Amino acid sequence: MTGAADARGLIHQGLLYGADEQFLAATVPFCRDGLERGDAVLAVTTATNADLLRDGLGADAGHVRFVDADTWYDTPGRTLAAYHRYVDERADGDGRVRVIGEPVWHGRDDLAVAEWTRYESVINLAFADSPAWIVCPYDTRVVPERIVDDARRTHPDLVVGSLAETSPAYLAPALLTTGARRAPAVAGEGGAVLRFGSDLAAVRRFVADTADSLGLSPTRTEHAVVAVNEVATNVLDHGGGSGWIALRRTGGRIVCDVADDGPAPLADWFAGYLPPAPGQRLGVGLWVVRQLCDLVEIQPRDTGTTVSLHFDV
Amino acid sequence: MVTAAIGGERPVRDIVPGDHLCLTFADDAEQRPVVTEYLSAGLSRGERVLCFVDRTTPGIVLDWLASTGVDTGAALLGGRLRLVPAADSYLASGRFDAAAMVGTVRREVDASLAEGFSGLRICGEMSWAVRESVGTAELARYEREVDAVFAGRPVSAVCQYDARLFGPDQLEVLDGCHRGSVEPPPLRGHDSLRLVPAGRAGRRRLRVIGTVDDRTHDHFVAALDAVLHRPGDVVLDLSALDFIDVAGLRALANAAARLGGHRRMRLAHPAPVLCEVVRLLGWDRTPGLVLLPEGDVA
Repeated sequence: MTGAADARGLIHQGLLYGADEQFLAATVPFCRDGLERGDAVLAVTTATNADLLRDGLGADAGHVRFVDADTWYDTPGRTLAAYHRYVDERADGDGRVRVIGEPVWHGRDDLAVAEWTRYESVINLAFADSPAWIVCPYDTRVVPERIVDDARRTHPDLVVGSLAETSPAYLAPALLTTGARRAPAVAGEGGAVLRFGSDLAAVRRFVADTADSLGLSPTRTEHAVVAVNEVATNVLDHGGGSGWIALRRTGGRIVCDVADDGPAPLADWFAGYLPPAPGQRLGVGLWVVRQLCDLVEIQPRDTGTTVSLHFDV
Repeated sequence: MVTAAIGGERPVRDIVPGDHLCLTFADDAEQRPVVTEYLSAGLSRGERVLCFVDRTTPGIVLDWLASTGVDTGAALLGGRLRLVPAADSYLASGRFDAAAMVGTVRREVDASLAEGFSGLRICGEMSWAVRESVGTAELARYEREVDAVFAGRPVSAVCQYDARLFGPDQLEVLDGCHRGSVEPPPLRGHDSLRLVPAGRAGRRRLRVIGTVDDRTHDHFVAALDAVLHRPGDVVLDLSALDFIDVAGLRALANAAARLGGHRRMRLAHPAPVLCEVVRLLGWDRTPGLVLLPEGDVA
């Protein structure tokens, strides 16, 4: 791994471990090496692993910043934004910004797992030019096998012990689209549909009234109104100029699909994950939408795009 | 006869005999419509109009009046319209003498009514006072004394103070020496978005009323452009803002960044969701942009 430290640009590695010793064999040298070089080191992991790592590092642990994974891995959009802020604030020197980032998989349903998998993939784009070195541990004792398989596809490199090797299964983010699992549309109760054109006030009223009647809290309803308005504005400004909105409740989520009438796909599936450059106009709205919602799926179709916004009730 | 109420702000059309009002303006857009409407309404009623001019020259005032269809040549010849420079009025003795000027105004009122005019409208621009370093106390004394000249007579007056020349503290004192203020004209609006000036004298705020979205975006940007060059901080009261989208917030951040120097754009009463979105975008760190959730504009 020493050689990798001298390369520029993102290093994004999966660490598939089946024993505590394997976790420590990779993470302890990663932290130590970084501290010796003066790199900032952040460890986002479980409480158990944090204790293991602290013991392994001894006195050096005081120089590593520890954050609890359940808090950090909130929603893909917010987590990515938080990483961006963290890296940006520390990326001005020659060194690297080192991160151990162990995503949370327990308690996630298929839909959330699919989007967090896309999140892992989009890291490769979002931080492509940044001096971040991100190691993502996957505990093969508890993480389902299909998620571990996805880790091989979303991480360009895999760490074994203190060495890294190329992951043969890795797919560039653009190629992951076809492999992503889209949740099938589930018919919900009490849903409503609105066709919309240029009148966004009507869109906002529809979202506010429907979300409220479906049981979304007033604050989250305000977030939903802002988010849907941004997506609908994109449809007016850059899409087909008209579309439809469907709001429904499926289990513990309010789901809002915003679809435009084409003619061409409006956005890539990862739009809004990449932070807007200063002065950039397009994509700023979706950057906000990703952070306001609990999950966002962007599904380009042959004609038009469907953007699904999810809000936990 | 309708008598002038004390205090408050009113539009030009509601000015009544006995009124002595203060007009604080930050640019032509705030000065021109008020002065033009006030003077041309007087002329069309057959009243005499007396204008003490200064930085806004006689030529400019005549152009403003002519643009509304007033036959300025005939009005000048008939003595219904008189334009008198500050040097021949406020500063007639070479320096400002409050008591002497009150006497001059009184003589003009007496003479106009004696000549048979049904009324008199006086409009005076006070910019010379800054040039001549006349103190606020001296001006305040003049404004208080001249007020008695109009009381109970078919006469009204509008004193024009340029907020680019006078400071906010000065304007607050001088505005208080009048029976009220002239309400500034609203900025060019839209059915679902209005920007209405509020607050008195040099402590002007702009109330943003309605929604900023795809439909009203261009109006919002134009309105911000129109107020950016005005002196001091730009204070926007957002308590009646129903909705603003990300593009609207970008327009605010861009405008704030363009202010430069020590000037600030202060957003009073922003909704919690607005603050949240601004923070998500990192625009709360825009130089010059200040969010005031409690509405404290001090």
